[in-house]
Formats: sequence, structure tokens, C-alpha cells
Amino acid sequence: MPDKGHKYGEGGESMIQKLEAKKMVITGDHAAAYAALLADVEVVAAYPITPQTLIVEDFATFVDDGITDAEFIMVESEHSAMSAVIGSEAAGARSFTATSSQGLALMHEMLPIASGLHLPIVMPVVNRTVAAPIGIWCEYNDMMPQRDTGWMQMYSEDNQEVLDMVIMGYKIAENHDVLLPIMMGLDAFILSHTVEPVEAPSSDEVADFLPPYKPIAVLDPDNPMAIGTFTPPEYIQELRYQTHRCMKNARKVIYDVTKEFASKFGRNYHGLIEEYETDDAEVILITMGTVTGTARDVVDAYRKQGKKVGLIKLRFFRPFPAEELRKALQNAEVIGVFDRAVSYGVGGPAWIDVKSALYGFDKPVLNFLAGIGGRDIVRGDVEKMFDIMLDAKNGKAKKEIVWINTRGVEE
Amino acid sequence: MYEFRFHGRGGQGGRMAAEALALAAFLEGKYAVSFPFFGAERRGAPVRAFTRIDDKKIRTKTQIYEPDAVIVLDESLLETEDVLEGLKDDGVIIINTQRKPEEIELSREVRCATVDATSIALDVLGKAITNTAILGAIAKATGEVGIDSIEKAIIEKFGARLGKEAGEKNAKAARVAYESTVVGKSKGGKQFEPKPQWLPTVDELPLGGSIGTMETYAGLVGIGSFIENKTGGWRVFMPVVNDDKCIGCKICWFYCPEAAIKMVDKGAKTKKAVINYDYCKGCGICANECPTKAISMEREVKA
Repeated sequence: MPDKGHKYGEGGESMIQKLEAKKMVITGDHAAAYAALLADVEVVAAYPITPQTLIVEDFATFVDDGITDAEFIMVESEHSAMSAVIGSEAAGARSFTATSSQGLALMHEMLPIASGLHLPIVMPVVNRTVAAPIGIWCEYNDMMPQRDTGWMQMYSEDNQEVLDMVIMGYKIAENHDVLLPIMMGLDAFILSHTVEPVEAPSSDEVADFLPPYKPIAVLDPDNPMAIGTFTPPEYIQELRYQTHRCMKNARKVIYDVTKEFASKFGRNYHGLIEEYETDDAEVILITMGTVTGTARDVVDAYRKQGKKVGLIKLRFFRPFPAEELRKALQNAEVIGVFDRAVSYGVGGPAWIDVKSALYGFDKPVLNFLAGIGGRDIVRGDVEKMFDIMLDAKNGKAKKEIVWINTRGVEE
Repeated sequence: MYEFRFHGRGGQGGRMAAEALALAAFLEGKYAVSFPFFGAERRGAPVRAFTRIDDKKIRTKTQIYEPDAVIVLDESLLETEDVLEGLKDDGVIIINTQRKPEEIELSREVRCATVDATSIALDVLGKAITNTAILGAIAKATGEVGIDSIEKAIIEKFGARLGKEAGEKNAKAARVAYESTVVGKSKGGKQFEPKPQWLPTVDELPLGGSIGTMETYAGLVGIGSFIENKTGGWRVFMPVVNDDKCIGCKICWFYCPEAAIKMVDKGAKTKKAVINYDYCKGCGICANECPTKAISMEREVKA
């Protein structure tokens, strides 16, 4: 281990060189790696997988260039990557990893261990199709099945949000009312390999916003402690409730952190959801990830035509913003939910949870499955979603679950 | 909003060019986004990259279907596909070629800029890497970004990767290209055989996508479909075997990733390597591995 750093969570010298605030034109992957650098992480263990590879490469370059003294652990698989950061985080070191698709699937066994031990690991996940068949393009079928592992999960709209969320992610995850790991989705290629302007704060500004990690239980040879030991039924139910409570606590912490971030850095992400043109909206589309940007343009165009449409960007999927959605959707006449994943035989995972949150609402909640396997979601696809919702407002709903732009399937 | 589409081949640096263009626009205070289209491509395969430039934040995240400018890094692509597809009527095409705009035959008559980026790159950089030179031509032909910003962007982007000197040399390549770009009009009327894409419905697609060799309206798909899909057109450089030097050791045959080399009995003491140009992609591994330097890579001149 390097000489610098926080010995067993006791605080210590920063791992990184002083970095000035700057504006860069970078990929989402680079934004994630640079944010981990700014967050002054002490340990990174990751295994490369397309389209996450650039995150690992970029961070390895930072270490090689001496910009950070962080420990970069080479591992032979994602299972080992997660195991390694569980170990380092348990030793009190702020830790970082990243993965995608099959890599996340391989990590699955270790994910509930990270949350069960309350280790606030931050992990960008580049959302990619899971096999079979093999695909490298964007889909949420990798992250959605990790819903119940005790990890928080959120999805980013652009590269700025990727960078900002890694920094905020540590602050949320390390809060002692939360102490849960967080995975943050970024769309394969649409963000991971797309360059756009991103503002990066200085390392001093980030250090001021994000104090050193203060763990509550630390693996320390001088003060031995058993964690994650064999536990009989007399105790596990209470421990599960603790995790359940932590996830519920996270909702308020997310609001507080996004608010503080907005006041310090000027970019407001509005907590778990963001409303766009919803005030008098008759139909509201719930979006996730990059389709939000395209949908904002469609909302603006439809507003100019006098159509009362709006959107809600579902930023966090866990904790799930059920109360926020009930409040934001109370005046809408028709609700649509975009999904880039399928729970086979049922519908989109986001739709399932939104419907459950809106139980008792007497209004159509439609599901739009689109962009599966990385199919480009063009403006016309989003317009179609709004058109179907506007038709449903006039009592012309044909289907509850609509597969957009799927050959041989009626819309 | 102004949109660019780059056509090149894997390894030619089209993506880096598209990103450097975005950086140049950003340096002028504009908002810019750039992204590649990622297929299952390899070195030599046709690839595309895109750039969007606007005065305000670009929120849309779709691919680009109706560009204002099309950039062709590899002239051979003009023969294999209609690169003008979707180009706006008042758009412009910028081509790396030794020919003049009026000598270029495309599917329709459009504003056309040509530049011999390959010769410029060989001259200034000593390598046939054309992705920086072409940026100079883009500045000249579109006026969307200034040549000074292009130079700055190249020094910043390529300099960070390849070192300061290489960054400055690449910037010079762009300047030389800027000054020698000829803007005119192309010829139109070139016919392209429509290449239908196989787009089966849910019921037409075999369960799980498991297919053997299948005859479809778009030709063969699945195992063995490369009988129709020849990849020799991907080459920029072609391997040429000197039979006098070839000792029949089979090292090239072993290393060829496309199995495009056969050992043929030509009546000499040993068999000789023979290249199948229908499938050779011009990667140059054979020439690199040959212990007697019997294979040389020669620039392929295409009509």
C-alpha cells in the first residue's frame, strides 16, 4: 500500500496532485475516471470490458502519470474486482470500480456482500446488452436485475451528470444514515464513447464538498473486528431491516446532497427525479438516461404546437421515488413510462415499479419499450410515445405495453 | 445546429478527427458533441463517426441521419456505398482524393471539396494517416470552424497522445490541406445497386437468432455468407509476394487472421505464398512476419 492515504479510515494526506477547475471535451468514460480522481479515491480495482474499458485505462494512466498515488489493483475478473474493493473499503479506503453487462453479472454474487457490510463503494456501470445474443450496445438489462442487491442505482443523462454523480455518489453513500454502495448507469456509447463539454471543479472545491471517508467499522489488525460472519436467523431479519431503513434514509440524503452541490457548483439535479414542463401537463412521459435529452427537445416542439406534454426524468431507481412520483403525477391524465429493459412476460422494470407506486390512481399508465439492444431511439420514436399518450387521453388507448419500432409487433 | 458525418475505415482515425473537430468548435465558444458508430468493426472495415456543433447546449442523443457535411477519408468507399445518403441538398462533401471535384462521380451533383490528404500526410508526417489533414479541408469547405481553432485542437488532442512535436506536425498537415483544398461541384448520376438489409419480423427471425446458412431477400446471412460479402475492398495497402524470396516457410499462412493466404505449388522447390485479394484486408501482418522480407505492402491505387 502507498505511504500516503488514510490509515484504516483515520484520515490522512490527499492521494492526488492539486487539480485546477477546467472545462474539457471528454467522453462519459473519461468523466467517470476523472471524477474518481477528483473524489480522491485510494483504491481502484477493475477489470476491462467494452464499453467500460476507457474508465479503467484512464484511471490507470492517472496512476502511471503520478497524478494520484491511489493503489491500482490488477485483477483477473469482475468478481475479483468487486472482492478487492470490498476488502479495501472495509479497511477504510475510499474505493472505486466500474463495469458493464456480463461483468456486472459476474459481480452479482459479491454485490449483496458490499451492501450487507455497508461499504459505500461507488461504481459506474456502462449499460450494455447482456448475452445471449452478444451485443455491446446500450440496454438496461444488465443493471435492472441488480435492483434487489441493496445497492442504490441511478442513470445519467449526459457526461456532466456522470462526473457530478460520482462525486455526489461518495457523499451520499458515505453518509452515516445511508452507508450503502451505489452504481450509476451511463449509456453504452451514447455517453461512454461520446465527447461533449464537461466542467470539472478543482480538487480543492471537491475536497471542500466531500470530506474524507469516515467508516464505522474498519478492518484493523490493531483493533480486530469480525465482519460478515456466520449469522443465525435470530439476527438476520433485523440486519435486513437496517439495510431497508438505510435505503429509505437515502432519499432525504440525496435531496440534501444535490441541494448542497447545486449551491456550491451551480448545477441542480433536483434529487431523485427531475420534472420538465410538468406544471400543467396533461400527459407525462417518464424517461431514464440519455433518451431524456432527446425527449426534452420533443417536449419543447410539442409545447410550441400547444400540446400540453411534459416529462419526468427518473434519476434514481433505488431508492425508488414513489412519493415524489405520486405528487408529480397527480394532475396528469395519462402517464407513460420508458423502459430500456424487459422483465420477460410482464413489461418494463421501471413501469412495474411506477405502476405499483401509483396504485389507486385511476388513469392509464402506459409502457414504452424502446432502444433495446442499443437500437437508436430517434426523435420520431419519442414523438410516437407522446402521440400514443395523447390518443389515450382521448380514450383511444390500444395497448398498455407498447414495443416501439419492433418489426412484426403492433404498436 | 450543423452536423457532420465521417466515412472511413477502422484504423484511419475518423473518430479522432470527429472529436478534434468538436474540440475546435468548443475552443471557439460553441457547444459540440462527437461520437462514433460502433459496429463489430475491425481495422479496415468501413466505419462512421459524427460531430454536432451548435451555439447552445445539444440535448438530443440520436445518431445523425441528415448531415450538413459528409467527409470521406477513404476514396474507395465512394465505390461501395452512396456516401451522400441523407446529405442535405445544400450540404457539402469533402473527399480525400487526388482528383478534382468535377472528376468525382456521385449519386447526385453536390457541392464538393477535394484534397489529397494522403499525399499531404505522407509528405508532412511520413505516414498515410489522413485524419488531421482532412480537418483543414473541413475548415475550408464548411467555414463552420476556423483553421486556427483546428490547429489548436489538433495540438491539444494529438499532442497529448503523441507528444508536442507530433501534435505540431499534424497541425501543419491540416494547414497545408486547408490551403490546397479545391471547392467545386461533383458530377451526379452514379447509380448504386440498392443493397437491401435483411430486416425480419419477430416471426421471421429464428428462435434465439440461431441460424445456419439462410437465403434471404438481402442475400445470404449466417454461416458461409462471406461467399458473397468480399472484404478485399477494405484494403488501402496490398501485400505483394516476391516468389524469388519466398522460402515456403508458411509463417504468413499461419499468421494471416483472415486465412487469405494459400501455399501453392508453382513447380519450385517449395510452395509459394499466394494472397487471396478477394478477402485480404491489407492488415500487413504477413509482411511484418515474413522472415525473408518476401512480402511488401504497396499502396493500392483504385480507379
